[in-house]
Amino acid sequence: MILQIENISKTFETGSHRVQALDDITLAVEAGECLAIVGESGSGKSTLANIVLGLYPPGRGRLVFDGAELPDQRSLALRRAIQLVQQNPLSALNPRRSVGASLRLALDVHDIGPRAGRGARVRDLLAAVGLDPALEARAPAALSGGQRQRVAIARALACESRLIVLDEPTSALDVLVQAQVLRLLHRLRQEHGLTYLFITHDLAVVRNIATRVAVFQRGRMVELADTEALFSAPAHPYTRALISAVPVITEEEKAMRDRLGGKP
Amino acid sequence: MTLLSIRDLKLTFRLWSGPVEVLHGISLAIGKGERVALVGESGSGKSVTARIILGLLQEQRNARISGTVEFEGRDLARLSARERMSMRGRAMSMIFQDPTSSLNPVYRIGPQFREVLDRGSPGISAAEARARAAQMLAEVSIREPDRVLDSYPFQLSGGMNQRVMIAMALANRPALLLADEPGTALDVTVQAQTLDLMRGLVADHGTAVLFISHNLGVVREFADRTYVIYRGRIVESGPTAAVFGDPRHAYTRALMAAQPRLTGGGLPDIPERDPAFDAPAIHHAAGGAA
Amino acid sequence: MRRALHILAANPLTLTGAVLVLLVVLAALLADVVAPYPEHAGAVVDFLNFNKPPSAEHLFGTDLVGRDLFSRVLFAYRISLLLGVVVLVISVPVGVTLGLMAGYLGGRREYVLMRITDVFLSIPPLVLAMSIMGVLPPTLLNGMLAVTAMWWPWYTRLVYNIVRGEKVEGYVLAAEIIGASKWHIMFREILPNCVPAVVTKITLDFGFVILIVSSLSFLGLGVQPPTPDLGSMVAEGARYLPDSWWLAVFPGLAILVAVFGFNLVGDGLRDILGAEQ
Repeated sequence: MILQIENISKTFETGSHRVQALDDITLAVEAGECLAIVGESGSGKSTLANIVLGLYPPGRGRLVFDGAELPDQRSLALRRAIQLVQQNPLSALNPRRSVGASLRLALDVHDIGPRAGRGARVRDLLAAVGLDPALEARAPAALSGGQRQRVAIARALACESRLIVLDEPTSALDVLVQAQVLRLLHRLRQEHGLTYLFITHDLAVVRNIATRVAVFQRGRMVELADTEALFSAPAHPYTRALISAVPVITEEEKAMRDRLGGKP
Repeated sequence: MTLLSIRDLKLTFRLWSGPVEVLHGISLAIGKGERVALVGESGSGKSVTARIILGLLQEQRNARISGTVEFEGRDLARLSARERMSMRGRAMSMIFQDPTSSLNPVYRIGPQFREVLDRGSPGISAAEARARAAQMLAEVSIREPDRVLDSYPFQLSGGMNQRVMIAMALANRPALLLADEPGTALDVTVQAQTLDLMRGLVADHGTAVLFISHNLGVVREFADRTYVIYRGRIVESGPTAAVFGDPRHAYTRALMAAQPRLTGGGLPDIPERDPAFDAPAIHHAAGGAA
Repeated sequence: MRRALHILAANPLTLTGAVLVLLVVLAALLADVVAPYPEHAGAVVDFLNFNKPPSAEHLFGTDLVGRDLFSRVLFAYRISLLLGVVVLVISVPVGVTLGLMAGYLGGRREYVLMRITDVFLSIPPLVLAMSIMGVLPPTLLNGMLAVTAMWWPWYTRLVYNIVRGEKVEGYVLAAEIIGASKWHIMFREILPNCVPAVVTKITLDFGFVILIVSSLSFLGLGVQPPTPDLGSMVAEGARYLPDSWWLAVFPGLAILVAVFGFNLVGDGLRDILGAEQ
């Protein structure tokens, strides 16, 4: 077990409004798994990701990482251990810095590997995500959306993190690009024994990449199951409603959706 | 009977670096009351096609358009800018991806709705406009039309704003509705509901729809006929059931295969680019649909 | 670069501005070589030739003590540009750094820094410089100080506004999550994205610094005689209008040419740098 999320709650207050973003979430992330957090807007899935990343502290509850409680102010080593791939590859890379410089930053900040070897390491990382190492000199504007997302994945790899938070990593991409990026993520997890916390709203993607699924609704976790189990017998009505809303393209999917789905 | 007919439409943008052809000769037709989808990835040319139909690109100085776009038997290129404008919002209307930003945030829904109705029936009285608006909102299953008419867009949910947009778009009984990625910004459950609603309404009103989307699943559930567009060319077209049930063009097949399945089956290895994607277009037999 | 040349070619105003700026800069740099009477930059008196209208010998005519106006305008450009460089070399780094800090660090620092900036911005620049010059003796150095003191807040405000927009971009979040230092994020990540706007403003400001120094000198608060200055030349010459029109008109035109040139180039840069982004 890498990360234990224990009784986390979070409330946001804006003026007179109080929004309970997370309500008593307890969840363990196992080493080497791809745990999907599925939900719609307002489900709290992004809040959970941000708390795991240390962007803000939980209101109540605690996070235990590798057996030790995570402090609100994290050390450099703890920051390195949990990395992020964002949804929008257009903004995730600095438009005024080269792709190589963006990757190099991670190596420099954490002093990873000998200084002299870092240039070569940057090129290795690009190759590892299926990109031409010569792209290191390019500006992000010269790359396609899919290429940029690969660079962002390489940046997370550079830190050799214990846990990678994937925040809707393919929902801004075209279908053909999405398929390739999902394959890449899957392959990297297998090859490097990575652990993913996969935040998404797309159940069809979840079906094909996650090992376990947690379904969130309005700040609560309503269902947690192995992927196979969830898609053969969803227990919670909300899970069934979500499944019934998935746009599908084949008759088999339609049959499955009609069999499992409930009324939204 | 054909409502909209596009023949060999080409579009070239003149840029600093030289001319770039974005559409290489698109042909498509929409019959009265028909639901047609134009499906493609980003940069395929699907959105510029919609903007040409709406007459929005004709005035842009660096755009050169050739081919014909005929709407209700009239060639758009022969119309003046003023005539094209009067057509928009009356005979032809549109809904966009993000409903909340398509509505003006500083006005309540009521006055915005009246402005829409005023285009169709100039000089409509405030009372009559309100009654018509409330009736339209009721048609999109809004239970408290009066509360909604007195609200600002930011006081309503995304799904509610989407319904308001649909009601406004259909308020003047247009012959053609252009829907550019409707509901993409919404949650899946809300998206499913609004699409259901839209499908029912256009059927009741006999409105034809050009549905522009990158989402295969949504297209399959909405459209009678489908055109697949790839890099400025139509690569496959036909009745939706035929295109989805028996995709024959390499690009269409790749799109379908790349779509993650609810039934599982893993992640197939599909190239992002392939020379076969540029193969000639395939048109399925109309099967009575067109 | 090619696109920049394209835009330049397609935009005759920017090209005109570039030519004007080039002329002004060359005039300032080569004043010793180009000026027909370089010694006239100082306290020279030539009563035989005083107050002469423009002629082949004296292109812009001569002033009341017989000095060649054309030579004095060239040397005045040198002083004006020097002032511009000094003012901007000090106020731009200060303003930009404070803007980065206020925009990125936020909280108390943002509040305090931006209120101070607002106070400076709320006072008309000329009034602020005049009050400083009223307290300090009117030397060239103090003139520079006065202008510098009122110049940095514009850069703070400009950069602050850009940083507020950039701060929410994904690349800043990425750097934070990697654990990069605040210093790195401000100066290596965000600052490069402010450069186009700052460079554009610097170009525009060259014109404005020249204008404001001239205004101060016009009021007798800036550059002191016998050092040639466009503002004081206009001020002095204005008393002899319309008879000795050249005394005010040529220095005035010189100001116009410089300010106009820098403005045109600044506008052009905004388009070119903006287009590349």
